[in-house]
Amino acid sequence: MRPAALKVSLTLALAGFLAAGAFYARPVGAARPYEGQTIRAVVNAEYVKYSLSLVEKDLYDKLGVKIETEVIPLDAFVSKTLLEFNSGSSPWDLVMFGPSNMPDYGRHFEPLEPWIEKLKLDFAMDDIVPVFAKVMLRYQGKLVSMPYDGDIHIMYWNKVAFERADNQKKFKAKYHYDLKPPKTWKQWDDAAEFFHGWGWDGSDKKLFGAGASYKPSGSGYSYHWWRSRFFSYGGQYFDKDMKPLINTAAGVRALEEMVKTMPYYPPGVLLFESEEPKTMLVKGEVPLLYSWTSTGKRVGNKDESVIAGKAGFGLVPGAEIDGKIVNRPAITPGRGMAVSKYSKKKEVTLKVLEFISTPDQSLKIVMDPKTIMDPWRVSHLRSPIFRKAFPDADKYLDAIEATFPYLVPDPVVPAADEYQRKLSFEITEALAKRKAPKEALDTAAAEWDKVTERRGRDKQKAAWGEKLAEMKALGIEYHPDWAAKAK
Amino acid sequence: MAIALERPRVAARRARRYRLRRGLGHVLTYLGLLAALVFFLGPFFWILTTSLKGNEDFFTFPPVWIPADPSLSHYLALFTRSSGARYFTNSLVISSLSMFAALAVSLPTAYAIARWRFGGGLLSTFLLVLRMLPAIALIIPIYIMYKMLGMTNSYLGLVVVYTVLYIPFAVWLLVGFLRDFPVEIEEAAMIDGCSRVRALVQVVIPIIAPGLAVVALFAFIATWNEFLFAVVLTGIETKTMMVLVTSFTSGGTDMFYGEASASVVLGVLPAFAVAFMLQRYLVKGLALGGTKG
Amino acid sequence: MRLPMLALKRRQWEPFAFASPSLVLIALVIMFPLAYSFYLSFLDFDLSVGPDANFIGARNYTESILRDGRFVGSIVNTAIIIGPALAAELVLGLGLALLLSRVARGRPIITALLAIPAMVSPVMAAMAWRMMFGVKYGAINNLGLQLGIIDVYFDWFGSSALARASVVLVDVWHNTPFMMLVLLAGIQSIPTELYDAARADGATPWQSFWSITLPLLKFTMAVGLMIRLIDLTKLFGLIFVLTYGGPGSSTETVAFTTYLAGFKDFRMSYAAALSYVIVGGVLLLTLLFLWIQRLREARAA
Repeated sequence: MRPAALKVSLTLALAGFLAAGAFYARPVGAARPYEGQTIRAVVNAEYVKYSLSLVEKDLYDKLGVKIETEVIPLDAFVSKTLLEFNSGSSPWDLVMFGPSNMPDYGRHFEPLEPWIEKLKLDFAMDDIVPVFAKVMLRYQGKLVSMPYDGDIHIMYWNKVAFERADNQKKFKAKYHYDLKPPKTWKQWDDAAEFFHGWGWDGSDKKLFGAGASYKPSGSGYSYHWWRSRFFSYGGQYFDKDMKPLINTAAGVRALEEMVKTMPYYPPGVLLFESEEPKTMLVKGEVPLLYSWTSTGKRVGNKDESVIAGKAGFGLVPGAEIDGKIVNRPAITPGRGMAVSKYSKKKEVTLKVLEFISTPDQSLKIVMDPKTIMDPWRVSHLRSPIFRKAFPDADKYLDAIEATFPYLVPDPVVPAADEYQRKLSFEITEALAKRKAPKEALDTAAAEWDKVTERRGRDKQKAAWGEKLAEMKALGIEYHPDWAAKAK
Repeated sequence: MAIALERPRVAARRARRYRLRRGLGHVLTYLGLLAALVFFLGPFFWILTTSLKGNEDFFTFPPVWIPADPSLSHYLALFTRSSGARYFTNSLVISSLSMFAALAVSLPTAYAIARWRFGGGLLSTFLLVLRMLPAIALIIPIYIMYKMLGMTNSYLGLVVVYTVLYIPFAVWLLVGFLRDFPVEIEEAAMIDGCSRVRALVQVVIPIIAPGLAVVALFAFIATWNEFLFAVVLTGIETKTMMVLVTSFTSGGTDMFYGEASASVVLGVLPAFAVAFMLQRYLVKGLALGGTKG
Repeated sequence: MRLPMLALKRRQWEPFAFASPSLVLIALVIMFPLAYSFYLSFLDFDLSVGPDANFIGARNYTESILRDGRFVGSIVNTAIIIGPALAAELVLGLGLALLLSRVARGRPIITALLAIPAMVSPVMAAMAWRMMFGVKYGAINNLGLQLGIIDVYFDWFGSSALARASVVLVDVWHNTPFMMLVLLAGIQSIPTELYDAARADGATPWQSFWSITLPLLKFTMAVGLMIRLIDLTKLFGLIFVLTYGGPGSSTETVAFTTYLAGFKDFRMSYAAALSYVIVGGVLLLTLLFLWIQRLREARAA
C-alpha cells in the first residue's frame, strides 16, 4: 500500500507544481495586474505577521498587491474579530483563524467555489494533505478557507541519549528490555523515568526525562498532551447522544499516568506553552518530546540547536492492544486563511489567498525555522529544497508523512474551543495535584454538559453526529475495554 | 578640678558616640535604600540587557548578564517588521491627548467640589465606585456604541474613554490641591474685577501648576499602560504599545524573545521619563492631594 | 437690589457648570454603557452564536454563584493573594518611606527611581518577571545559584502555594512604590515640632515612631490600603502574562475568570453578570472597611 500511496502522492505533487507553473505562465494581462491595491490581513501573533512578510516581495512583484497586517494578540483575537463580524462589517479582507473555531466562525467567510470559477483560481487542491483538506477547509459543506499551517504532533528524540552504550546497559538492567525510542506509553514513561535527573549525554549536568506543554492557555496545551494517550486507550469525546466519555476508564488512565510521571518532566512544565519544551529539546536537556511539527525546524536550526543531525523523528507512542500497537497522535488543526464575507476587495483578496497558497510560496512560509508554520501540502513534504534544508530534514518530513494515517482530529463542533479549554483546565488541576484525576475529569464532563445544554443539545448532537461518522471512517471508535488491557 | 576636667571629655565622648551612631544610622539607611533600588530596578536592567543580546545568548547557561557585543537588531526588527514606530507614535499621541483632556475636564469638577462642596460626599464616593469597575463590564457596550458612532479604530474613541476613566483619580488629587490653595488670593483677584474663570486660569492655575503637572503626567502614564480597551477599540492604525507587547506573549515567545524584550523596554520608557521629570513633585503632589482627605 | 439675587442664582448653577463636562462625559461613556451591560447581564448574548440574544432573567447570576465552582474558587484565590500582598506592601512601603524621610541628600532622585515600578503597566511588569523567573536560563535562579541560595532548577510556580507567593512577590514589586509614595507624603505632612518636643521629653526614636508617626499616619495608611484593595480585586494583567491562572487554578483571580468567560468563551452576558457580582462584593468590602474605620475612630474619640 505504501509504494502505491507514494506514487499517487508524487503524481499529485507534480500536478501541484505544474499548476503553480501554469499560474505563473498564464498571461495575467500586464505584470502586476492589481498594482496599487492594498489588502488587510488580520493575524493573532507577531510571528504570524513575520511569516507573511516572507511572501510580501513576490506578492508585490507578481500581483502588485501589498498586505497590511494587523496583529491582535491571540487571547483577544477570536472575540475581537467576532465582535467586528457580528456587526456586519470588518476592516479586514484576509482572516487567519484556528480551524477549531470554524463552526463559530465560518458564516463570516466568503465561499470560495464561485470565485474559483469566476476568476479561474487554482488552489492546487489535490496537493493538500488529505487529512488537512478534511478538517480545515469547509463550513457547512462549502469551501471557505485554505490551510496556512498544518499542525500535527510527531515525536522527537535525542539520539545521543538512546545510543550511548552505557545508557543502554543501564536501561536494560533496570527495565529488562532494550532502550529504544518508545513505541508505547509504558515505554515512554519508563524512558522518562530512566533519563530523569542525571547526565545521560555523558556530562555531569542535571537533565530531565521528557518534555511537554501543560499550560491550559491557547486552545488548551495540556489537553493536546492528554488526548494522544486517551485515544490510544480507546477513548472518544462523546457518545452519539453527546454524553461526554472523557471521564471513562481511558481518560482516567491517561491522566493518572500523566500525574504519576510529573516528577520526570522539567520544573516549570505546568506553565509551559508550545515553545519552552522545544527550547529544552534543542538545548539537549530533554531526550524526548512529542509536539508540533515546527519543532523539527528548530531541531535543525544550528543557530540555536545542539542536536541538529543528532535527533530522531517518529510516530507519537501508542498503546499495545491485543499485541497490536494503536497510535492516535493529535491533529490540532493549526491555522487556516479565509476571505472575510464583508471585504470590499474580494477579488484581489482571493488572488492573494491563491498566491499565498501556491505550493512554492507556502513552502517558503512552512520552511522558515522562525515561523512555527507547518507543512500542509504534499509538495512541501517532497520539496527537494526542504528535504535538504537541515541535517536529516528528509527523515523529519518522512516522519510527518508516516503519521498522517493515524491522526485523530479535534472535536470540531460549535464551541469546540470551549470544550477543549475547559477540559485542559481540569487536566492541569489534576497535574497540579489540586484534584484527583477522576474528580478532575468528572468536573470537566459536567462542564461539557453545561456547554452542550447552553448551545442546544440537539444542535450539538447533529454536528457531533457528522464528526462521529468521520471518525468512524478513520477507524476511531470508543472501546470501553481497551483501557484495561492496554499495555 | 578633676570633675571640671572630666566633664567636657564625657560630653565629647558622648557627642562622638552620638555622631557615630548617627553616621551608622545614615550608612544603614543608605544601605537599605540601595538594596531597595537593586530590587526595584533589577528587572529593568535584565530586560534592557536581554533586549541587547544576540539570538544565541538568550538560552545559555550560565546566562549572559551583560552582552559583550550589544546590538540594536531587535529594536530594528521591531521598528521595521512589526511597525513599532506606528505603535509608539500612536501611544504617544493618544496618551498626550488624553492627558490634556483629562486635566481640562477634571480641574473644573475638582474646583466645584473643593469650593462649593459640590455633590456633598456623594460625588467622591461615586468616583471611588467608578474605580472599582472592571474594564470588562464596560468594554462591550462601549464597543457597540462606538461601532454605531463610527468611533472604533480612531484616536478620538480611545481618548474619550481614557479621559473618563482617569477622571476619578485626577479629581481626587486636584481636590486636595485646591483645598490647600488659600481662598483669599482668589477672592482678592475676584474683588479686583476678575471673573471666577479668569481667577482660576490666571491666579490659581499658575500657583498649583506643579500639582497639575503631577496629575497630568500620572494621566499620561495610566493611559499609556492601559491594555484591554486598547485591544478591543483599536484597529491597524491606532494600535498602542501595550498591544504590541502582548502580541509577543503567546506560544511563540521563545522565538521572538529579543523583540519581546525590546518592546518591553520601549513600553517602560515613559515611566522613566516621567519619574525623572517629576522627581521633586512626586511626593509633594500626593501630599497635597488625596492623602489629606 | 437685583444683584444679590443674581449672585444667589449664580451660586446655584455655577457648581453645575463647572462640574458638567466630566459629569456629561461620565454619563455618556460610563453610565450609559453600564446600564446597557446591566441589561446585557440578563440575556444570553454569546459572540460565537451571533448578535441576537434572549432574555433569560437572573440565570447568569444564579449560575455564577451556585453552579460555577471555578468562579467561586477564584474568589478564594483572589482573597488569598490580596491578604499577603496588602500586608507586605504596607510594611515594605512604610519601611521605605521611613528610610527616605531620614535621607537628606538625593531624596528626590532616589524616590523617583524607587517609584518607577508603580508607573509600569502590569503587562510589562509581568513580562519582565516572566523572563526572569525562567528555570535554568532566568536571572533570578542564576543569581540565587551564585549566592548559593537556590538551585537553577527551582520552579517558582511549582505548587499552588509557591505560585501564589510568586504572584504576590511580583505584585509587591509592582505596587509597593505606590504605597511608599503615599506614606512618604503622609510622613512629610507631620509637623516636625512634634518630634522635637518628643525628643526634648527624652523619647527614643522608636517611641516617637509608635506614639507620633503611626497614629498620625493612620488615615494615610487607610487611604493607601483602600486604593490597593480596590485595585487588587481587579488583578488581571499580572496573572494574564505570568501564570494564566495556573498551575491548575491556583492563581486564577476573579478578574481573570471574568475575562475568560467573556473573551475566551465569548459569553459576554455571563461576563457582565460576573462583573456585577464582583463590583457588588467590592462595594460591600469597601463599606465594611469604612465602617470599621469609623468604628475605631469613634472608639478612639
